[in-house]
Amino acid sequence: MDQIITAIGAIVLVPLVLLGYILLGERVIERLPERIQEWFRPYFWALPAIGFATIFMVYPLLRTVVISFRNNADTTWVGFDNYVYFFTFPSTLTSLRNSLLWLVFYTFFAVGLGLIIAIMVDRVRYESLAKIAIFLPVPISAVAASIIWKFMFDYQAPGTTQTGTLNALLGVVGHEPVAWLVNSTTNNAALIFVGIWSATGFAMVIISASLKAISSEVLEAARIDGANEFRIVQLIVTPLLWPTITVIGTTMIINALKTFDIVYVLTAGAYDTDVIATQMFSQLAHAHFSRAAAVGVVLFAAIVPLLVVNIRRFQQQEEQR
Amino acid sequence: MSGVADQVTTRREAARANSVSAVADRWSNALQRVPLHIVIIIFCAVWIIPTIGMVVNSFRSVSEMGQAGWWTTLFPPHGFTLASYQQVLNTENVGTSIVNSVLITIPATVIQLAIATMGAYAFAWMKFPGKNIFFIVIVGLMVVPIQMTLIPVLQFFKATGLSGTITAVWLAHSGYGLPFEVFLLRNYLGGLPREVFESAEVDGAGHAVRFLRIAVPMTIPAIASLTIFVFLGVWNDLLVALTFLGTSPNRPFTVVITQLVTSFGGGWQFLTAAAVLQMALPLAVFIALQRYFVRGVTAGSVKG
Amino acid sequence: MSEVFSRLSSRAIALSLGALLLVAACGGGSSNNSSSGNATSVTQWVAWGGAELQAYRDVLKPFTASTGITVHITTNRDSTNQIANGIISGTDLPDLAPSTTDPIQLKDWVTKGALKPLESFLDMSAYTSGTYPALTTAPGGAADDPYIGIIGGKHYMLMIKTQVKGLIWYNKKVFTGTAPTTFDQLLAINPSQYGAQKLFCAGFESGTASGWPASDQIDNIIMRQNDAAFYTSWIQGKVKFTDPQIKLGYQTFLKEVSAANVYGGSNTALTTNFGKAGDPMFKTPAGCLFLEQATFISAFFTQDFPGTKAGTDFDFFGHPSMGSAANDGNLNGFYDNVAMYNDTPAARKLMQYLATAPAQQIWANDGGTLGAIKTLTYTDPVFKRAAEVANTAKNLLVTAGDFMPSDMQAAFWKSLLDVTKDPSSLNAVLAHLDQVQAAAYKAS
Repeated sequence: MDQIITAIGAIVLVPLVLLGYILLGERVIERLPERIQEWFRPYFWALPAIGFATIFMVYPLLRTVVISFRNNADTTWVGFDNYVYFFTFPSTLTSLRNSLLWLVFYTFFAVGLGLIIAIMVDRVRYESLAKIAIFLPVPISAVAASIIWKFMFDYQAPGTTQTGTLNALLGVVGHEPVAWLVNSTTNNAALIFVGIWSATGFAMVIISASLKAISSEVLEAARIDGANEFRIVQLIVTPLLWPTITVIGTTMIINALKTFDIVYVLTAGAYDTDVIATQMFSQLAHAHFSRAAAVGVVLFAAIVPLLVVNIRRFQQQEEQR
Repeated sequence: MSGVADQVTTRREAARANSVSAVADRWSNALQRVPLHIVIIIFCAVWIIPTIGMVVNSFRSVSEMGQAGWWTTLFPPHGFTLASYQQVLNTENVGTSIVNSVLITIPATVIQLAIATMGAYAFAWMKFPGKNIFFIVIVGLMVVPIQMTLIPVLQFFKATGLSGTITAVWLAHSGYGLPFEVFLLRNYLGGLPREVFESAEVDGAGHAVRFLRIAVPMTIPAIASLTIFVFLGVWNDLLVALTFLGTSPNRPFTVVITQLVTSFGGGWQFLTAAAVLQMALPLAVFIALQRYFVRGVTAGSVKG
Repeated sequence: MSEVFSRLSSRAIALSLGALLLVAACGGGSSNNSSSGNATSVTQWVAWGGAELQAYRDVLKPFTASTGITVHITTNRDSTNQIANGIISGTDLPDLAPSTTDPIQLKDWVTKGALKPLESFLDMSAYTSGTYPALTTAPGGAADDPYIGIIGGKHYMLMIKTQVKGLIWYNKKVFTGTAPTTFDQLLAINPSQYGAQKLFCAGFESGTASGWPASDQIDNIIMRQNDAAFYTSWIQGKVKFTDPQIKLGYQTFLKEVSAANVYGGSNTALTTNFGKAGDPMFKTPAGCLFLEQATFISAFFTQDFPGTKAGTDFDFFGHPSMGSAANDGNLNGFYDNVAMYNDTPAARKLMQYLATAPAQQIWANDGGTLGAIKTLTYTDPVFKRAAEVANTAKNLLVTAGDFMPSDMQAAFWKSLLDVTKDPSSLNAVLAHLDQVQAAAYKAS
């Protein structure tokens, strides 16, 4: 019961407290000399946001990097030992390889399919229905999605009735059932597909909005000039959508590298499906903090190029403002 | 010159519209589009059928699920039952965890949006030294994986005595969500017309007033859609809750479901009802508020 | 206009100040929550689901009736990892839960005070005299035996149930021959002679703990191919995985799960949950003749096939000899234990209750398990026999994986899944295990 009270308290009080913060703060700031106001006020307003970001992201980030160079008990420096562990243990290397697979295929297909589907449904009358169908997995949690696909991938011994949808379909065409999540040729693909299934709708919706913003006159002119649909998509639509595609692509890459839920729930990383996030979680569970930190740093290093791209894009946007 | 050609084309086309060959043309166009329809329908099927399959399974008994696929239930005898739902709801902790999910999600959403809006306003409409650097850092933080921050944040909560509390998770979610929200809201706020603020300033309205009575009301569409986005993200979260609340009685529904998975092992069948319950809220929210969701998400990223 | 603004803002300021006061006032009460520290309720994590859980609930009924204490049970097979996480992050722990079996982790948790000694609330002389000695007394009177939860002379695990592992179960209506006494004899049996498809059934899936049934199988092989000292050294990390004897163990294990011998091939073994692994034995035509599993599986059989009875419909014979008579006395036993993480009056009462014979007798009566107390009676002929087997074993050896450091255990289980899937990878897998072993046993 007191949990509920605390929650209601938080919902009501936090905005109120912030309100008070702003109002009281402004009252005080307005009394200060003009020049001091100029620089003090913005910091005052941005302080909560900057404070949170520092406590929960900046400081931990730096601290994790530091931890990765120290021993588990945090008493001495161990140099690159944890990184050596990372790059020589087959299990951690496998997780790195798998995360790269996710990065490439998840991103490519989520964005690619999103693009193709957006373009296709643009041309049919039942567009809204189709879009809802594709978007439906997006609000579903990865845990629920994993359970959904567990049934799709279900495996029974050959010769017995198949309970999994995919294996039943295989049975219809006379193929032996496949142990999707166990077989190493299929398991990573299966997991990545679950991710793609969840994310494509998101990409599609955003690309679709951009698509609709493309002037129809430009497209009409091209059609009259005799260009067929594929050329139009290739030479006009895609370049115009490129900024949107980049933004979505960045988001998807980040999602791919952060994937945890799907792998944890469906296979717990077994049979070489481990990814960096699950690897780090199990290192934490075994209380190997410094190794977990090293795993985290490697993950971050993979993302740094994205960081740079993101920042550059932001700076370009700023100049245009 | 092209204008005349256009007119001629249109008139000729209009004349042809009703002739037999016109009808044939339209039919052949439609037929050429059959592959298009087929492909779209296949995609829709692949995207919807799995979910339908699980929902159907949640209404079947465990022994049936182990013997035949969900599609067999569509034909008589149906054998629908609510046993799985009863089982899940009777399971220790499930009810509490659903309440916990709500208690975690709503305040976390409110807290981060309030802070983000304030911060975004400052970045959008105030000049101050180092603003760009701070903003770049915040934008950069959007790509940082949460895993990087888990250990120090765990230690932080331990040091402040917040371990295992729901408050800790509110703060954690807020911290992790802020970069993206500040980025998005800042873009949106920055796009608001300058004149409105300037005339208010001339009228003697201070920053507080300008923020509360002008900026916020005008940003409602973006805030509304962001609210949905954040709400869904927190409701569906597993990693943060598992790390910070794994053993706590305050853990939310997603964690309890995952723990049920490990406990039942082969009893995934029991989890169908749990999964349906867990997805019910986000789906309801999304269906009811889809307009705002799409609009707001595109507003931030497609702009500029 | 500015007056309107200032009046509104004054009201807002007043409200905010009031809000701040409220926050300060209620701030203290929220972190204490109602679950633990109670005199009337206990939170407990258990690894049992289904019929096992139902049996435990039966055990609790008289307790709740007489003391009025409610027990909130959560089933969680990944409890050790999550409790480890909880101890690290300082979150609330359940009052009672299984202890860790990782010796390093156990010592660590005792040092941190996460585990509470039984000595503080239990009559130790009654406990140690009534329970199977192998479970409560360190061999040679040593002060520490982390394998049974004794650190510094104090006990941290309350033993409540035991299992005998490595039993070969069969459907009496299908397998009508005589029980083989050696492993070679076992492998030589032709299943089609009895109308079954394959020799063995196997099921290794168990969520994040997948692979543990496989480790049971290989443990029972290794402990009979070698003596108890070797086996214990292996658990302690003193024997490499690439050691020829261990490799021999793996190769023998692979015979049990080869495509020729196991129902449905390796894919089925890997994807079937351990509780359902024996189901094909009861189908017509029978999928397999034998399932190697512990005593608890009997409850799973009766649950999935209502009406079947232990002793009449299904029975077991002991694990056949691996050819060395001296090692035949090595028996693989396991125990279920409860450890106390929060010392509360209610939790103490529950622990004291669970240590009593009446409590454990209820369990035994429900079938599917042996108690930890020597004097329990078993009506079920199968369990009577199992109890005798436990009592007369020369050495009651523990399950290897459970007593290795947690990351070694995880790698060990995984290795069995990997070789089952791909037997040709054996050498690479063993080499990797050596690598893990070198890192895991360093008490960093």
